Amino acid sequence: MISLRGVRKTYASPAGPVEAVAGVSFDIKEGEFVSILGPSGCGKSTLLMMLAGLEHASAGTIEVAGEPLTGPRRDAGLVFQDATLLPWLSARDNVLFPIKMMRLEREKYVARAEELLRSVGLGDFMDKRPRELSGGMRQRVALCRSLIHEPSIMLMDEPFSALDAITRDEMALVLLDLWARHRKTGVFITHSIREAVLLSDRVLVMTRRPAVVVADVAIPFARPRDESIQDTPEFNAIVAQLRGMIEHSIKAAA
Amino acid sequence: MSDMALPATPNQPRLSLAGHWVSQILLPVAFAAVVLGLWEGLVRWYQVPEVILPPPSVIGARIVSAWPFLLQHSLPTAIEATVGFLIAAAFGIVLSVVLVYSRWAYVALYPNVVFFQLIPKIALAPLFIVWLGIGSSSRLAFSVFIAFFPVVISTLTGLNSTPPDMLRLCKALTAKSWQVFLSVRFPYALPHIFSGLKVAVTFAIIGVIVGEFITAQAGLGYLVLFASSQAETPLILAAIAMLCVVGLVLYGIVAGAERLILKRYGH
Ligand SMILES: Nc1ncnc2c1ncn2[C@@H]1O[C@H](COP(=O)(O)OP(=O)(O)OP(=O)(O)O)[C@@H](O)[C@H]1O
Ligand SMILES: [Mg+2]
Repeated sequence: MISLRGVRKTYASPAGPVEAVAGVSFDIKEGEFVSILGPSGCGKSTLLMMLAGLEHASAGTIEVAGEPLTGPRRDAGLVFQDATLLPWLSARDNVLFPIKMMRLEREKYVARAEELLRSVGLGDFMDKRPRELSGGMRQRVALCRSLIHEPSIMLMDEPFSALDAITRDEMALVLLDLWARHRKTGVFITHSIREAVLLSDRVLVMTRRPAVVVADVAIPFARPRDESIQDTPEFNAIVAQLRGMIEHSIKAAA
Repeated sequence: MSDMALPATPNQPRLSLAGHWVSQILLPVAFAAVVLGLWEGLVRWYQVPEVILPPPSVIGARIVSAWPFLLQHSLPTAIEATVGFLIAAAFGIVLSVVLVYSRWAYVALYPNVVFFQLIPKIALAPLFIVWLGIGSSSRLAFSVFIAFFPVVISTLTGLNSTPPDMLRLCKALTAKSWQVFLSVRFPYALPHIFSGLKVAVTFAIIGVIVGEFITAQAGLGYLVLFASSQAETPLILAAIAMLCVVGLVLYGIVAGAERLILKRYGH
């Protein structure tokens, strides 16, 4: 379990301190998939970096399994908006990159890397370099890379935002499938309400900067899920409810 | 910065693929031939004195007649430029790495590097003679001095061009900084480093030539100066032609190394 209590983050900037996150408290249970929705620039990435141990909270505490988080956690798998693959490595070697950086034994992970790539439909592309892959394929490689070292949590910062609409829908299903297989704890930042509802057990709604959590909505669909839930009235009702909350929070802050 | 070895950019007019090699080589050669022909014709037509501008055929004849002499003077120039370039490259890359990894060194040194980059360094050449004498060490030192700055500036740009998210990922994986340097930052910097090296190799030659102008002992720069004191214009131009060959060969070696390495590490 991950617990955030009164977490704040203030950046120093030439124009004075910028308060990005203003007192956020919530818990994420083991194996839970949580999405975070919020307006642009509200502090979502900052929150994710704090969860990864890459930024220190200015105030408040973040605890992982009862222990305060003090530095980078190796058991997190990170996915960014851009795939950030190394251009000179093959898909396979990009997936194995964390193993190299963590100074683990490569040979023990090659089979797992190939298995991951096959599971996202890249079995025939393992030797291809990033420039030979489409944007969606590159992001699939990045998803595999985030799972190679068997992390206990996946932290994803708008991983599909740079993709076109069709690829994006496809990627949500790839992630749904990948998550069903691996069952990591997941934190997923997105601007897409439908994506959040499809993938998550819970959706958190944040306000404008400085961010606080204004809503914590449980998504009741059973797992394993598939794309068909998107056509149900329940799905659309939750989407509409969340959209209302977001509009309200933006108006309230303005 | 020079990007002469980059492949044709999309906004350049495309030549058909079939005629690609033919046109890429034939066209510039044909153009040069036309210019040389015009030069030959006009100079002869207007009977321009040889001291002012000899026709290409006379320069060619002079190259043949003075060949051993030209070769003898090309060697020290080529060797000094090569050694100067290599020292500048090694020194420039090492200094960049120090600047990138030491905040303190960066703050102290970087503004000074930029300052030196901006001043006309050629003007400092005589000082090097005063300090190091008229031997090859002063020419070498001066060549290193002017070739070194483009290497530093471009290597620094390159080392800082790694996407920030990539560095975050490395940090999250608790990678050691030497690992990040070897596996990520340095390979990311290679295209920039090579564009700096291509500038540096031409600067290294300029450095040696300027040194030879001043110290006047041997080398193509000395030969140019000597020939001009004798009003031997064909020999001046013959020496300059040799200089072009030396420059092209050295540049070609660096550009060739770039091609090989960017095949592996290009983006
Ligand atoms: N390193 C930093 N130094 C100073 N200010 C920063 C820094 N990082 C982020 N900020 C500021 O903090 C605020 C929140 O940024 P953050 O990137 O967390 O927002 P976000 O919700 O992820 O935005 P987006 O939806 O655009 O990705 C912004 O106003 C940003 O300018
Ligand atoms: Mg963000």
